[in-house]
This record gives sequence, C-alpha cells and structure tokens, in this order.
Amino acid sequence: MKVRILTAITSIAAVTAQAAEPTAGDDAFFETKVQPVLVKRCYECHSHDKKIKGGLALDSRSGWEQGGDNGPALHPGDLEKSLLIKAVRYADADFAMPPKAKLPAEEIAILEQWVKHGAADPRVAASGAKKRGIDLQEGRKFWAFQPVVNPTVPQVKNTDWPADPLDSFVLARLEQASLRPAADADRFVWLRRVSLDLTGLPPKPEEIHEFVKDNTPDAFAKVADRLLGSRAFGERWARHWQDLTGYADMMGTSNSVFAEHAWRYRDYLIDAFNRDKPFDEFVREQIAGDLMPAKSVEDRAEKITATGFLMVGDVEIVNPDKGKMEADHIDSQISKLGTVFMGMTLGCVRCHDHKFDPIGLEDYYGIAGMFRSSPSTHKIPFGVWSRLNATDLPETPEQLAARHLQEAERAEKIVALKADQARLLAEKNALSAEFARLEKLEKTATAGTSAPGAPAAIANAGGGEAPKESKSGVAGQPPGSDKEAVAKKRDELAERLKKLAAEIQHAEFFRSMVPKAFAMRDGEKAQDMPVYIRGNPYALGPMIPRGAVRVASWTSFPQIPEAQSGRMQLADWLADKRNPLTARVAVNRIWQKLFGEGLVRSVDYFGARGELPSHPELLDHLASRFMQEGWSQKRLIRSLVLSRAYRMGTVNDAVALQKDPDNRLLWRMNRQRLDAEIIRDAMLAVSGELKTDSGGPALVIENFENTGSLVLKGVNPPSYAHKVPRPSQEFERTVYLPVMRGGFAGPDRVRSFFDFVNPAQIAGQRPQTVVPTQALFLLNNDMLRKRAGVLAKALGEKYPDREARMNELWLRVLGRPVSAEERRDAGEFLEQMQSLLNERQAADGVAWIELCHGLLASNQFIYRI
Amino acid sequence: MKTPHLLDRRQWLQRTACGFGALALSDILQAATNPLAARIPGMTPKAKRVIFLFMGGGPSQMDLFDPKPYISARHGQSVDSPLKPEVTQVGTEKYLALGEMAPVRPRGQSGMMISDLMPHLASVADDICLLRGMSADNPQHAGATLQFHTGTFAEVRPSMGAWVSYGLGTENQDLPSFVSIQPGGVREYGSAFLPAIHQGTALSVPLNDKTSPIENLRNASASEDIQLRRIKLIQKMNRRLVRNVNGDPAMEGMIQNLELAFRMQTTTPGIVDISKESEATRQLYGVDGKDTDKNGRACLLARKLSEAGVRFVQVTMGGWDHHGDIRGNLPKLCAQTDQPVAALLKDLKSRGLLEDTLVVWSGEFGRTPWSQDLSGTAPIDKHGREHQPESFCSWLAGGGIKGGMTFGETDDMGYRVVSGRVHIHDLHATMLHQLGVDHTKLTHRHLGRDFRLTDVYGEVVREIIA
Repeated sequence: MKVRILTAITSIAAVTAQAAEPTAGDDAFFETKVQPVLVKRCYECHSHDKKIKGGLALDSRSGWEQGGDNGPALHPGDLEKSLLIKAVRYADADFAMPPKAKLPAEEIAILEQWVKHGAADPRVAASGAKKRGIDLQEGRKFWAFQPVVNPTVPQVKNTDWPADPLDSFVLARLEQASLRPAADADRFVWLRRVSLDLTGLPPKPEEIHEFVKDNTPDAFAKVADRLLGSRAFGERWARHWQDLTGYADMMGTSNSVFAEHAWRYRDYLIDAFNRDKPFDEFVREQIAGDLMPAKSVEDRAEKITATGFLMVGDVEIVNPDKGKMEADHIDSQISKLGTVFMGMTLGCVRCHDHKFDPIGLEDYYGIAGMFRSSPSTHKIPFGVWSRLNATDLPETPEQLAARHLQEAERAEKIVALKADQARLLAEKNALSAEFARLEKLEKTATAGTSAPGAPAAIANAGGGEAPKESKSGVAGQPPGSDKEAVAKKRDELAERLKKLAAEIQHAEFFRSMVPKAFAMRDGEKAQDMPVYIRGNPYALGPMIPRGAVRVASWTSFPQIPEAQSGRMQLADWLADKRNPLTARVAVNRIWQKLFGEGLVRSVDYFGARGELPSHPELLDHLASRFMQEGWSQKRLIRSLVLSRAYRMGTVNDAVALQKDPDNRLLWRMNRQRLDAEIIRDAMLAVSGELKTDSGGPALVIENFENTGSLVLKGVNPPSYAHKVPRPSQEFERTVYLPVMRGGFAGPDRVRSFFDFVNPAQIAGQRPQTVVPTQALFLLNNDMLRKRAGVLAKALGEKYPDREARMNELWLRVLGRPVSAEERRDAGEFLEQMQSLLNERQAADGVAWIELCHGLLASNQFIYRI
Repeated sequence: MKTPHLLDRRQWLQRTACGFGALALSDILQAATNPLAARIPGMTPKAKRVIFLFMGGGPSQMDLFDPKPYISARHGQSVDSPLKPEVTQVGTEKYLALGEMAPVRPRGQSGMMISDLMPHLASVADDICLLRGMSADNPQHAGATLQFHTGTFAEVRPSMGAWVSYGLGTENQDLPSFVSIQPGGVREYGSAFLPAIHQGTALSVPLNDKTSPIENLRNASASEDIQLRRIKLIQKMNRRLVRNVNGDPAMEGMIQNLELAFRMQTTTPGIVDISKESEATRQLYGVDGKDTDKNGRACLLARKLSEAGVRFVQVTMGGWDHHGDIRGNLPKLCAQTDQPVAALLKDLKSRGLLEDTLVVWSGEFGRTPWSQDLSGTAPIDKHGREHQPESFCSWLAGGGIKGGMTFGETDDMGYRVVSGRVHIHDLHATMLHQLGVDHTKLTHRHLGRDFRLTDVYGEVVREIIA
C-alpha cells in the first residue's frame, strides 16, 4: 500500500513537471481521462457515496481489485479477461454496463487503453470496504438458537386458577403486571370456540345440550376427546398445514396446468393429523419419506406421498430457461423449509449473506445442493414446458386388481366410443354426399328452368333417393329446404363428433390409472453445488459442501452417504430434539391457531427482526413437553384447550386494556374472525346440508369439458378449468374443493373475500381483514341466501311454533340460547316482514329466510369469541 | 310500515345506526386512522392519479412502434440468433426475419414512429412519450405479468395500485382507492402483505344494465325496504356483541362496512353508468362500435372513475399473444383498442385531467423480430412472433411526462437495448416519482424486512420528465 501511495505522489509530480499529454500507462492519464469517465458513468451505482451494486465499488483501486460478486473487475493488461471492459463493450446483453445505454466509443477506447497499459490507479480506499462475515459464536447467543431447556413452573399467588402447568406461566406474568385473568367464558361460548378451533364446525344442538347438562369433572375433557377423535379435526388442521405449503391443484400459475395428484398430499395430511402422527416423524416424511424404510406397501405409499410438501407450490413449469427454472424452484423449496420448520427467511440468502440473521451463502447452498441432487421436475421432450415429477405408488394386490378392472372398463369404453365415432362419421359422410348431390341438383334446376322435365330426370339419375325428393316437392316447400334439413343434420353430427373426439382424447389421455403422487426422489447425480452469484445459475461461485444451517447446529453435519442427496440427513437434523428451532416453531404455530396470536407473534419468522416471545419460558415449557410426550400434536392441543387460559372470556377490561392494549400478556382470550373455509362449512353445517367425505381428487378431471390441450405432444401443456363441478361439491367441506391459482369461480369464491392464503404464499397466520367487499358478500351473496333458505325451510317444517323455532335457530347458528332482547327484536322483525312482503313471498316463508340470512351475516356468526 | 322510504336512505341509516350518531360515514372514515385518507406525498407531485392500460399477451413492438430495416430487408430469410444457448424457444428454429406488416411512419411534430394500424394513437403522438428500450426479466406470461404488476414474479407481493393506495390514500371515500377493470389474475391487483383495504376492487365492464359491475352488488332481498330491515337487525346484533365484549375495532369495522356496502350498492351503479354520457363522448370512445364497444366502455369507465377520485385505475385489454398469423390477428387487436385508448387521452386532455393523470400503456413484454411457426409448415405470412422480454415498447402520457418524445433505442435486430434502457423497476420508480413518492422510501416491513415496489432496484428515468 505504501508503495502505491509513493508512486501516486511521484507520478503527480511528474505530471506537474511535464504538463504534457499523459500517456495511457501513467496516473495522469487516469486522472485526466479515466477518472472522469468512471465518475460520470459508474459512480452512481458503484461508489461508497452512492451505491455499491453487485458488491462492486469503482472509487478506489482496491474496489476493482477485490471486485464484486463476479470477482475482480479488471485484470491489468488483459482486456479480454477484464469484466469491466466486457461490460462496457456491450457484447453480452445480460452483462452490459452502464445499463441504460452504451458508452460513446471514445470513452470505451479510453478505458481499454487504460487497462491495456496496466490500469494505473492511484486512488486509495477512504475506508476499506470490508466484506461482512458471519460470526456463528455471536449468532448463537440469540434466544431462538439457544438450546430448549425445560424451565421450572413458576409459583403463583392465585393457586386456584391454573388447570395445567402452562397456566402458571401465563398467570405468573399477569400477577407480575398486577393484572387479573378474565373470567371464564360460559359453557356455550367455550363449546362453540373449541368446536370451531378443533374441527372448523359449530357444535350441534344435541352436543350443546349434552355438554351444558354434564356436571362431571371431565365434561370438558370429554368434549375435547370427541372433537380430537372426529374426522373433522384432521380436515381442519390439515388446511392449516396446507397454508404452509403453497398447496394448489394446479402446478403453477401459467396455463392452468392441472396437478392431478396433489390431492394425495392433502389426504396424507388429513390422515396424519387424525392418526396423530408424531411431529418428528411428520417432518422426516415430508422431507425424505421416499428414502425411509417402510413397514408395508401402504406405509411406503404414504411416505412417498408425504414428500409432496416439497413439490406442491407455485412452480413456474413453462419457463423456457430451465437452469433458471430449477434455481427458482429450489429457492422456493428452501424458503418453504426455512419458514415452515425453522421460522427463518432462508430465501434472502440466495443472493447474499442474510442481512439480519447469522445465516450465510454456505448455509443456503448447503441445503440447495441437496435439492439440486433430487430434482423435482423434468422437461418434456417437446415444447418448452416441464412437469412435476410423479412417482408410481406401490399397490396392495387388492388395489392392483381393482385398478386392472377399472382400466379394462376404460379400455372398453374407448372401444365403444370409437365405434360410435366410426358410425357417426359414416352417417355424416353420407349426409355430406347427399348435401352435395342436392346442391348440384339445385344448380342444374336453376340452370335448366327453360327445359321442363330436366330436374326430375336428373333427380332420378342421382340415385335411389328420388322419393324423398319428390316428397318435398309434393309438400310444396320451396326448393332447398331439404338441402337445409340435410345440412342441419350434418352440422349436428359434426358437433357431436367434435365432442366425441374430445371425449376419446380425454379417455386415452387418462387411460392409465396407476396411482401416482408428486414426490421427491434422489436424482442420478448426488453432489455439492456452487454458489449461484446473485442467484444467477450461470454465474458460478465456490463449491459448497452440503449441510444444514450452521448457527442452529449442535455438531457438524453428518457425512452424506455416496450417491445420496442428503435429504435424509437434513430431515433427521430438523427432527432432532437438539434442534433449537423445530419444536419451538411448531408449538408456537399450534398456540397461535388456538389463542389467535403466537407467543412469538411473527409465527413464520423467529429471526432478529422478528418479535421476541411474550412468554419465553412458556414457549420452552411447551416445546419440552411436546418433545417429551412423543411429539404428539393431539396431546399438545388437548392440553391447550383444557387449560384455564383457553377458557377465559374475551371481554375487555378497562385497566388491562390500558396497561396491555395488545393483550400480549394474555389477560383475556383473543377474538377471531372465522376463516373463509369455516364461514362456508359452518353455514353448510347449520343448514344441515354438509356432506361427510373421505377425500379423493378435487379436480373434476373425469369430465372432459374441464380439461384442455390433452395432446401428448402439444406445445401447450394440458390444462384445467373448473367449469363443471361435481354436484356434490356444493356441499363438501371446503378443504376438498379444488384450489385454483388464478382465483375461484362461483360459490367457491368465498375464499377470495375472507383472506384465504394465496397458494403462491407461505403463511402460517392469515390476516383478518375488514373490507367493504366482505360486507357486500354477506349482504347479497347467493351462497348465504341458499343456506338461509334451506335452514328456514328445515326449521319451519320441524318447529311450527315460532318460539321453539327461534330457540333452535339460535342454538344452531350461534351455539347459544336466544336472549329475551333478541327474541323481541326477532319478533318485531318478523312482523315488519309481514307488512313488507307480498302474499306469495309470505307464503314462501321469506320472513324466516331473511331472519336466517341476517343471523348468518352477523358478527355473532362470523366471529368466534 | 312506511317509515324507511319517507326518509332519504342515508339519513335513515344515520338515524338508525346508533353507532354513527349524526356523522356521515365519510367523516368517520376521514379520521386519522383511516388508511384510505388522502395523503400528501413527500415530494411535489406532477400526477395525482394513474390509469394503467395493460395490454395482456405482449404487443409486437416491431410492428407497432419500432420497425427495423435490417429485418424488413431480410423478410423471410434466416438471421443470426442472438439468443443464449440455455434459452429454448419453440417454432423459431429458423430465425426467419419477419418484417413489419403495415407502414410505421413518423407522426406528429416529433416524428414519433407509429404504425398505420394505430391511426387514432398516431393523431395524439405529441401527447405521448414512447419508451423503446423497455426490458423485463421473465419470458412467460404469468411471470412477466406479475413482474409488471408487482415488481416480482417469484413471490406474492403487493401490486402497484396497492402500493399507491397504501402510500397516498384516495380522494373519494365512497369509492375504492384502486379499481381494476376487467382484470386478469387476483395477484395482479392484490395487496399481499399490505393491509387488504388497498387491494384492487375488480370491476367488470357492464355491457348492459343487467350485469353488475362489482360482485354481490345486487340486493339479495326482494326490495330495498326488506334489505334495510335485515341490515338493521344485523347491525343491532353486531352492536350488542361489541357492547358485550367492551369494544372491538375489527367488529366495529365490519359495522361500518355494512353501511358503506349498502351505499356502494346504491351509488356505484350510477358512477359506472355510461348511458348518461353524451353521444359525442360515447362515439369518441367507440361505445356500441363493432370492434370497440367493450374496450370503449372500459376506457370511458376508467376516465369516469379517475375523474371521481379513484387513485389508481387499471384496465386490462388482453389478446396480444400472437404466436401465429400475426398479420391476421394484430390488426384485429389494434381495431379493438386504438380508438378507445386514444379517446381516453383526448377526453382526459379536453377535461384538463391529462396534466395530472399519468397514463401508462404496456404489455408484459414484446415479441421477437424473427418469426414463429408452431406448425412448421405455414408460409411466412402466416407466422407469428415469440415472447421477448429483452426489449419492447411502452408509452406514457400526461402526469408531467414529456409529450412527443421517443426514448430508447434497440439494435438493428430489434433484440437488445442499446440506449435508454428502462427496466420495469425503472418504470415503477418513475411512476411513483411523478406521484410525488420516492420509490426507495415507500416501504412496508414484513417478516423483518422492509419491502418496496422496486425491491432493491429502480432508477427514476429523469430524461422523460417534463
């Protein structure tokens, strides 16, 4: 450095002395010619005073020596190797600088001369641009990376209150702040709350009666066990998990390409929750189920399906640049993995070390190497698009036999359809011939009007259909009407043939019924990968050994066996009790679903810019307990809903509101707006129309009218539009309806209004917005109207007595008895209706429909308190 | 039972909705907490509102604005591919030069190049600023469309209208701040992590009186009186619940929204009703015209909403994806859009609105100068063009942007930008700048990070600012 400064001084002296035209190799040339170009053209984005884009600073010699993301910017004396020269020459559109326009030729020449003659540059960096490193030791001091330690349960003054050790943690904090927990909610409120939270369905009137009469000490536990044991539990909690996966029944956003096997992953989730699959196992299967030993054929199929976690999501399969497509897809897998299991924003690290958290490129590309070693898409041999990889699922002998039977039926159907096609085609051809004949006849007739008798002769010559001809003549119809009738019939046939062709194409496309799942599998080459500089797959940095996130690791990452991707080791690392993040993040998610807010409110982000836990000891208490109790989600959920904290009412307290307006200390239960699915499902439940279901395909792909581009070698991928739903879909739980990436149609649109998570998003917590379009929906949507109509009718038939009918209505819709005030209001309302309705409307029971609609649209229904 | 309709509906609601007392709803919404309250931007704005005309599918810039003699001279002959090896295109393997289909001539005082296919736009050339060095990053519709609307295609991010609403609020509290007319996918007008109040309200173009422009706008009850009684009952129950829990802002919000929804139900049809417009105006836009009816209505609606104070109006006019027979198909799209779009500019100008309304016209990308033939057997005149995000044309008008200016240049091939490159991020930065907002300062924290419409990119294109 010293030497360089010296040269700088001497050369300046030299310039002053000579004051002549500087030559390209000296500092004067730099100062008079080169530096002005750099200042004018480059400093805007590459200097310490402005920006340092791409990590490159050009305001000092060390800046270009060290270079940016692509390495040193100049190689003095070597024009071809110097990236800066390459950039200003604009030879490569993706590596052209300055970005807005090419430099004038003379300026490029100056830069070339400068570099060619050794790139003299006397400038010294004012303050050394230090590259940021990651201090793992320092990073591990952050609470989220500390090991989980089971804290002792704190002492509380009000020892009567806690019903579970977890309550003591809540109460201790409240007592510290001189706050009192809210009074218990009444039994009606608790029952509706726990029913909606665990199953997404409101309690039935008989369940309400039973519970409020039950004075045994385990009345609450009995309810919790009943709900946890119902199929509806899995249907509700699987959907929470789907929010974390980008689940949709479409592969990506482009071209509406159907993901016809995605439902298997959804059914896997429902089943996993209902069978209370231990969470560590649940994690392992979703990352590396395909690599795990299986106990049976069914178990093997299940484990393969579980890896759908890494497959579903917004995959841009039609991107023609496959390198970029793969890199983007890997990025979405890493982001998902980081957010869902670790509460870390790993996606940020694709291009640079994390700005706030101790996670670096080595961590990102360590995991990326595993996913790159197990590719999840393949390009089809024609066109530009790719498909998600699907794995054939093993079948039991019974399943296999059943499938062969179905396939045989389908093959027969194709034969029958083709026979139909041939028959209709022959008919159509005959009609076409007949049409041509008639047309010819007509022409001749017009031409030969001067020669009477001629038409008949020609008609007879035309073949054996003369009687028909003469018949029309007898009827005295204008000439050509027969021709039109023939044309009409021919066109009808053509239309039928078109449909038939689509049907045959559809049947052939789906000829094989081998069960498949979108699933991960290790690729042919298992290997480490290089850093993609700034995320660009064509700019390669150093190779990174595969591994996990170092700051959350307790030991070095295990050796990955030869020819394996490393996903199994990653899965084990995540599911290890020593991992400081997995259990904490998981219990916090469950807590949030039941209490409205997480103990760490930023449920998807536990990093430095996230929120600190409101009750750190409680979080660790729950995390420890969760792991000790075999990672059982049901046991954890059971404990939470039977706690005293969960039993609190939601009434505001003036003092507490002052001290803790956000209810961080949990002095009352949080109120929650029902999720979109629950609004729809609960309406179906109260109207009595809800269908029980056992899963299966969401897309109505068996209807050929819903599919398009089923050409195996088409330029466009096969597509799906949900034009013709199955009739039963109007009454199925929302979790079974197709999730479309481009938005929903018809009655499925409730999701568009009430904060359904966009399937391109990974979101552990949905926003609860309040916007006018929701109010319009509640006021006027056809879905509410239909449910209200069915509900009113059912009640009217069963309860002719007005008072009894009101009782039942309130119990069904709001889960509680009607109050005296409400009874009076409703009575008045019904009377007003009588005066406003005409006779027919009155006879149709519109008054009660309006009342039912009113209740369904009220906050009392769409909130759970 | 005659009471309700003896009173003006609004008065009636004010009297019966005791949560409101005598205050008008808009007064309540004007309170400091209102996320839609009009806000004064940090810099002096040149534009108060934006109309974004989105040409979905990718119009062919070569045929419309940027003819290339190099290509025209070689029409039907092979040219060298400038593509990188990793990029796959289908049906373009021969790289046959495809000349512009109709003359593209100098227009207006500046001599801006515009095709004969757009005679109406040509007549207002001096009001627009043509950007010929546009560039984007994604070669597929879904991704490129998302990038144009949200700045990115990998993640779910707020759309530009949502950002503008978030930054500036809106001027008319009875209308949404951001309206998307005949929109595409939901993410093109979504609010992502911004408060949902900023998401665009989708509006279909009512081609007759029977279609409702906004979903659920039609009263579900047999009469307004009946509906009002029902609303009253709902509100009574809602207020009782709020009282029982000693207050809840979200629940109170829903109570307010029911009132607003009811008013939208009554006022919106009037605002979107174009039958009251003069015959001259309707003709200007081509309403009832054979090709122009739909887009004419959409553009006229955009003007009405913009005039009424909607901060950001987006109109999507799709159909520009001409992979085949571009010579047959492009003229049709021009016929459907040229008159309505030019009419919008003329109408805004005559009303003095163009000065502070920024109009943006663009597709998500452009099209290749070489031809595409998916059949492999069609004659050159039946070929189309493949997607091209590397360079394309957009134009801006009004809102403090120079009129009659052509900015940016592509190489002889019409593939690479050689000067005046404007990336989508730069366009977003410039749009916000004209609205008085520094694009680096309009941020929202999400998952620990401050997000921007322009992410970490974007430079204001100062050369085109008047």
